[in-house]
Amino acid sequence: MLELHVNGGLHALVEPPVGRTLAETLRDDLGLTGTKVACGEGHCGACTVQLDGVPVLSCITLVHTVGEREVTTIEGLRDHPLVDAFVRADALQCGFCTPGQIVSAAALVAAEPEPTPERVRHAMAGNLCRCGAYPRIEEAISTWRG
Amino acid sequence: MARLIRTEKEVEGRYTEQWVVVEGDDALDRWPQGPGAVVGRPAARLEGHQRARGEARFTADLQLPGMLHAAVLRSPHARARVRRIDLSRALDLPGVLGAIGPGDCHVLQEEPGFHGAPIAAVAAESYARAREALALVELELEELEPLLDPEEAVRRESFIDGEPRRYERGDVDAGFSEADVVVEAEYRTQTVLHNSMETHQSVCRWEGDTLEIYTSTQFIWGIRDSVSSQLGLPPDRVRVVCEYMGGGFGSKNSPGDYTYIAITLAGKTGRPVRCALTRREENLAAGNRNATIQRLRAGARSDGTLVALEGEYVNAVGAAGWSGPTYGPMEMLYACDNVRTLTYGAKLNLPPNAAFRAPGFVEGTFGLECVLDELAARLELDPLELRRRNHADKDLVDGRPFSSKKLLECYRRAEPHWARRDEVRARSEGPVRRGTGLASQIWYGGGGPPSYAWVRVGSDGRATVITAMQDIGTGTRTAMAQIAAEELGLPLDRVRCELGDSARGPYASISAGSSTTPSMGPAVRAAAADAARQIVEIAAQRYHVEERVLSLKDGRVVSADGGSWPLEEVTGLLEDAQILGKGARGPNPTGMRVLTFGIQVADVAVDVETGEVRVERIAAIHDVGRVINPLGAKSQVEGGIIQGIGHTLSEERLVDLERGTVLTQTLDAYKLPTIADVPEIAVELLDIPDEHLTNLGSKGLGEPPIVPTAAAIVNAIRDATGADVRSLPVSREEMLRALAEAREREKLAAAPA
Amino acid sequence: MQLLRPESVEAAAAALGNGTVALAGGTELVPLLRSRIVEADTLVELRDVVPRGIRGTTIGAGTTLAELEVDPQVPQALREACALAASPQLRSMGTIGGNLLQATRCWYWRLRYPCFLHGGSVCHARQGAHREHAIFGNERCASAHPSDPAAALLALGATLRTTRRELPVAQLYRLPTEDDRGTTVLEPDELILELEVPQAEASTYLKAMDRARFSFALVGVAAARLGEGTRLALAGAAPIPWLLGSPDELEGATPLPGTAYKVDLARPLIRRALAAVA
Repeated sequence: MLELHVNGGLHALVEPPVGRTLAETLRDDLGLTGTKVACGEGHCGACTVQLDGVPVLSCITLVHTVGEREVTTIEGLRDHPLVDAFVRADALQCGFCTPGQIVSAAALVAAEPEPTPERVRHAMAGNLCRCGAYPRIEEAISTWRG
Repeated sequence: MARLIRTEKEVEGRYTEQWVVVEGDDALDRWPQGPGAVVGRPAARLEGHQRARGEARFTADLQLPGMLHAAVLRSPHARARVRRIDLSRALDLPGVLGAIGPGDCHVLQEEPGFHGAPIAAVAAESYARAREALALVELELEELEPLLDPEEAVRRESFIDGEPRRYERGDVDAGFSEADVVVEAEYRTQTVLHNSMETHQSVCRWEGDTLEIYTSTQFIWGIRDSVSSQLGLPPDRVRVVCEYMGGGFGSKNSPGDYTYIAITLAGKTGRPVRCALTRREENLAAGNRNATIQRLRAGARSDGTLVALEGEYVNAVGAAGWSGPTYGPMEMLYACDNVRTLTYGAKLNLPPNAAFRAPGFVEGTFGLECVLDELAARLELDPLELRRRNHADKDLVDGRPFSSKKLLECYRRAEPHWARRDEVRARSEGPVRRGTGLASQIWYGGGGPPSYAWVRVGSDGRATVITAMQDIGTGTRTAMAQIAAEELGLPLDRVRCELGDSARGPYASISAGSSTTPSMGPAVRAAAADAARQIVEIAAQRYHVEERVLSLKDGRVVSADGGSWPLEEVTGLLEDAQILGKGARGPNPTGMRVLTFGIQVADVAVDVETGEVRVERIAAIHDVGRVINPLGAKSQVEGGIIQGIGHTLSEERLVDLERGTVLTQTLDAYKLPTIADVPEIAVELLDIPDEHLTNLGSKGLGEPPIVPTAAAIVNAIRDATGADVRSLPVSREEMLRALAEAREREKLAAAPA
Repeated sequence: MQLLRPESVEAAAAALGNGTVALAGGTELVPLLRSRIVEADTLVELRDVVPRGIRGTTIGAGTTLAELEVDPQVPQALREACALAASPQLRSMGTIGGNLLQATRCWYWRLRYPCFLHGGSVCHARQGAHREHAIFGNERCASAHPSDPAAALLALGATLRTTRRELPVAQLYRLPTEDDRGTTVLEPDELILELEVPQAEASTYLKAMDRARFSFALVGVAAARLGEGTRLALAGAAPIPWLLGSPDELEGATPLPGTAYKVDLARPLIRRALAAVA
């Protein structure tokens, strides 16, 4: 058995093979498909989740290395004000990268409630958006408290 | 009454004649220019929360009971022949339920003609197991000499669409002899990839005699038609579903190899099968914007009048695909009487191209609009003035009038942005030189029939738009609901839009060629109007008033006499029944050319020592007719420009020039723009309805914004530095090369004769 | 595959070799395992045993790049190198020890061409596509070392403490040879534990890349002034992080046709870096 703390709950998994990633576990074993996999090798940020509040890439995190750390996925952030802010600012188009964007942004605003544009660009540079919603994402993060 | 109409249909510049059936009345009174109650006002996307909260179910998220996963064995060589293939060891691996090779499925190739061409596939209980099984396929390939150089392909007459395309109007040679100034230059564009965040994929299963295809697509009905004709199935036995999809940009218009592989393996195993491309496969076998070589010549009189344009275009198409309209801007953008183009579609052992956001026009506009600036420099004429002097008042290709063209108004609105250029240049400091450039835009975007929609109004006074279209992320779901809300006099929160399933709605347009809104919008409006008419008829009978005094507004049925009733009071009479309105898209205006226009002005900063180019600002002014949702429209423009910046500065697919193998397969090597690469973007849409086009006057907006971006940036680079960049991307090496060349030129010019 | 969680550094080191490899942040190893460039039957997790954190001039090898990026005790060149490396998520995962040991981004190597670095006889990049490749030390293998922090540490004259020895960062790396295609001198069972990073009077890291963030260096230049001398080092310029004895050494570069621009690119960056630390 492997225990995994996700979004405030504790999950017990039938021992997965070593090498299985956190993204695979979340999506395929726990059905938490809000976390997307777009490249599978750490180059795009779509799979971003938080480990103890720190954004990491679940597609290259082996699930066995998560340990006691709390995993926060988009499903754990569904009521975060950033969700409304993203919709309000039209900070998404196809929406495939959006959960990862919001997970990264949530960690940013938790540490810095009013990040400067420079900080936003630095902290969000690891989340690619092919639709090019970036200007709206910047706006959503700078207006996240409504 | 159903009307049968013969009409011309255009998708991305390709015209065909076809029959369409239009039922009901699509010719409604035009809405006045400017915002209505809902249309023309910013609206957040209806399904925004589902997408943002990770609840939207993409094809990638679909888990069907018993679903198997396919993995595809792809050619490691650019050109090869299968000598021997044996799938038996792969099939013997536990957990593997099916394996197919050439002969089992038409997309699997015995003579793969590009790196990534599919040869075999297996289906297994997990994707990891399927990958293991692939390693057990015994495959002997004979590697063959690939053809990789487009110029060599032209010499060998290896063409993709038969003969080269030739076009000429007027007398080009006479035109050049009249010219006071002639410029000649060779421009090149690179191969770039769509790299949608959701890779190409399908999940296929047989339900009785019906084939269900869940797929990430831009054209539900196109998939249905292609698959049914390929398989010889009645179209109604193919159901195609795509409720959410993660980006396409032109690459997801057809079924692709993955759909047919999943279908074949589903047939063989009796189980649902997912075939999803990995990111690496996406970079091999999912299409691309092909590279081009453009040899251009432009002649003008000293007053700036263009007297001759000539272009020889080589499209490096790939092993399959189509030779795109790189010539389009040269033939269409300016009022030049003498134009000659020659276009080769080079067939090469490289991955096939696919439509990519204004295919051909992005590449052709880069060449043409840069040459125009070279010409302006030689003429010592303001580049904006040069464009104004050569404005085309009618279509020069066939003499047709435009349904509407507000390009001169775009130019006028560009002036304040253009006028900043002295101030921009003055902000140069040290090695960082600043400059401003502009480029004009022309593209299609009129859409057309056939496109159908239904509008259902329930007894609760809420409406649902039903049509089997797709929302590829452009916000069409929201735009359609806005149109229906406007026509029904309902607030937007009482209208929803159901789409994405060929079994649950009428035929709808492709989402490509900037056609979704102009094709679907009028059909939705017609359907809503049909429903509104029925509501009025019912209300007239219920309240004993004349129909002609009744209208729908603010969720009420309003009488001109002063009375009004909540809509739900009228529709409530239906109890559980509903009102169903039907609408069809009528034909485009006969004898007219429907096009979109615009201009972009770019400010750049170039570090002349390190070759670093930063785009600091882009102003985009486009004429796309009536704007349905200004918020979504702004996003489209920004997104197109950002893709254009990637195309201009950082993106390039690289292949090994000897082997033809793709080297940039991952997103560290293939460099999409990040949030840190984005400039300030000022968006202005004219929002003037096209007076001849449909009951909406709306054109499409998906593609126009990417068309002029590269040329505007490169013209700004020339303004800032004097360097001639004629090849994309403007990488450090290209920028440093062009700067060194400019320095040499200056030195020569300064040297005493 | 199995995963070991040893109790001590010694136990971790003892387990390494023969198909057993060390796993720290995983940003490099996990993709290499999944693309089968690294084959392993056992992973040894280092997270709980390798020192992590910054104490004055001593940096635990398990410290993440994200932690280094913001710590005022860390010399500026290293902070800047970390801030400009990779992406925020990768910097939060990746450790400085692992970063020093990352492999090249050469596409031929990453796509498993049987190249010199993989034990073959030719460098495919020399004849092939090589715009991101080396301008120094590239005779046998033209790959470029991608680490930004490594160049900063080279310029700063940092030293490493491993499970076996202490050695300057400059001596960690070696060019691949006919007999040994590795790029470091570490033994298979040797772990980097700590870095000793001298406080420079001034230091900086400048990086040229294809986009504004989240891209490997075309050229990275680190400069550090310590006492009388100023040291320069380059990232993205050779199969290993490259120490430049003097600015003039740049003119002795041996670029390939497609990397000649990197010399022109490095020149102003070196000049600017030197000006910044002067």
